[in-house]
Amino acid sequence: MQYKVLEKDKISGFLDYLASKHNLMAPVSEDESFSQFKRVYQASEINLNYTNTVIPPKNYFFPPAENLFSFSAENGGIEIKESRQAENMVIFGLRPCDINGMSMLDPVFNGNFPDSYYGPKRERTILIGLSCQEVMPTCFCKSFGTDPTDGSGADLMLTGLENCFLVEILTDKGAGLLENAGGFFSDESVDKAISEKKLLRDKLAGAFLREPDLSGVKEILDKNFEHPYWEELAAKCIGCGICTFVCPTCHCFNMIDTSRPDATGSRYRCHDSCMFPGFTKMAGGHNPRPTRVERVRNRFMHKLKYHLDRYNLDGCSGCGRCIAKCPVNIDISQIITHIREVVKDD
Amino acid sequence: MNNITLELRKQARKLLEDQVVQLVIGYGRGSDPFRVTPVFVRHPDFVDSLIWNPFCINNLAKYLIEYRYLPGKIAVVIKGCDSRAVNRLIQDNQIERDKIVLLGVPCTGILEAEKVAKTTGYQLELERCSEQEEKFTLHTSSGDFSFAAKDSLITKCYSCYNHNPVVFDIMLGPAAKENPAAVKYSEVESLEKLNVKEKSEYWDMYFSRCLRCYACRNVCTACTCQECIFNQAKPAWVDRINNLSNNTSFHLIRAFHVAGRCVDCGECDRVCPVNIPLRHLNQKILKDLQELYDAPIPGADLETGPALGCFVTEDPEEFM
Repeated sequence: MQYKVLEKDKISGFLDYLASKHNLMAPVSEDESFSQFKRVYQASEINLNYTNTVIPPKNYFFPPAENLFSFSAENGGIEIKESRQAENMVIFGLRPCDINGMSMLDPVFNGNFPDSYYGPKRERTILIGLSCQEVMPTCFCKSFGTDPTDGSGADLMLTGLENCFLVEILTDKGAGLLENAGGFFSDESVDKAISEKKLLRDKLAGAFLREPDLSGVKEILDKNFEHPYWEELAAKCIGCGICTFVCPTCHCFNMIDTSRPDATGSRYRCHDSCMFPGFTKMAGGHNPRPTRVERVRNRFMHKLKYHLDRYNLDGCSGCGRCIAKCPVNIDISQIITHIREVVKDD
Repeated sequence: MNNITLELRKQARKLLEDQVVQLVIGYGRGSDPFRVTPVFVRHPDFVDSLIWNPFCINNLAKYLIEYRYLPGKIAVVIKGCDSRAVNRLIQDNQIERDKIVLLGVPCTGILEAEKVAKTTGYQLELERCSEQEEKFTLHTSSGDFSFAAKDSLITKCYSCYNHNPVVFDIMLGPAAKENPAAVKYSEVESLEKLNVKEKSEYWDMYFSRCLRCYACRNVCTACTCQECIFNQAKPAWVDRINNLSNNTSFHLIRAFHVAGRCVDCGECDRVCPVNIPLRHLNQKILKDLQELYDAPIPGADLETGPALGCFVTEDPEEFM
């Protein structure tokens, strides 16, 4: 790995440069408790001290509503216009849990059956990570073997230190971006910055309030598809889709055709939620997940078992968004702990 | 342990032991010190999971709709604001009064968890809470912390209409002092002063960020349709496609649908993950209903029907 140093007073210049040369997405705080990644045009719009955004950055590759194609049958035949387009993009300021979330989404859309909408967007995007400066009370990425300074999965990783940012060049894409922005970076005091980053990493590692132990949880779930614990959770769930919409790894979608009286229309795919009763409803009315019990179980099975079964990857990155936003305090970190206890009690 | 918690457990135990009710719906400890979670107690051995503290924010009346077909009676813990929802559910024939036992809490306000945590941090156990002269004291494993009610409550509690439940079977403590002078609609009044363009910009900014997670609808006690129009695929009255136009339709249709039945419990506002001030929308309608029809807050009593659900010859007929 190659390292560089970016002095603190040069960060604005670097971000302004990025915004002038690329489509730059970065964390923006819209109001006191709402933040999201957004197209920015200058450094001053970016909040470098943000804790997790409410909306996860997956939306850049898997948008909430995506036009797949438009059609027109005006002149007898049918004409299809594809809307596939992927622009070059730089996403700056990704926290490690979100970078990890993207790595967990990749095999879903870019695996054996590559999705022609997701792949090109992902390919044309440069990811720049930014180490956390604090651990939120809802954070638990540590349980998934990562840490708030881990840049794995990004192209470049920045870590804010006392006087500078340590820059880790993780991929060729990252190196290419820096080649053209060389003026902002230096090789001086790299070793000092590396040791400072280690200190930050150790400090953050000791700051987690949630450290659920994941060992053996998948094996427990393998054997406990039917367990009264799911009923206990489902009793309080109100069946909204907050947990799935704010999750960086949830990826279910619905296809929607719209047509207009002039014989034109479009096909969209939109985020869907396994918490919604219509999610698995079939033609004819049968629903294999008829109650909240099956729906709640599905979500946690997906996060903690199915994703591992399918891709040998965790389905949760420990970002804590679902914990922070659940109206009734259903808490995945607590479920990981509880599920071990309830099985022991059986 | 505060007195309300003790009384709550005592009453819940008695109701379950005497088999008056089959289920008690109340609040339990959450996964953070300042969070609570709904709990469902079916056996007297488990009543100790029930708590009351000034973080018990959820309107548990919504669960009555979910569990109305449960055999036997259901007891539910309700604050003043939640009790209006119970009246509305009874008026809407969603639940029979005989089916429920209401455990009323005299509520002096709900503390804003994040504000409290800024002072205390999260690394502690909340042991009990006490209250004296407009001041809440949290007794924790890291010592006592006091918070003045005037700057630590959640917004809705500053304009509380009912500190005490308007309907209940068992009160869990002495009645709280009501505050009839509370300012009800100050935020709505300042929004009313904006011109059309400014109003449009204000709501467009919020509606464009809506995720359509439907938490506002699912938590709402006025939302009781067996199949919601926003779930219907054929016809798709409002597209699931997330954009400003569809999101605006969703929120406006929902606001009009609950008009005259919204009890202003503020749950929609609380649960919105992207901070859309939905209460302003519903309060504007409440304010209009009050000015045009002299209608009380829905659910304030069991006798007054919904303003938009009854015909009175004195009603203004500006649009006819």
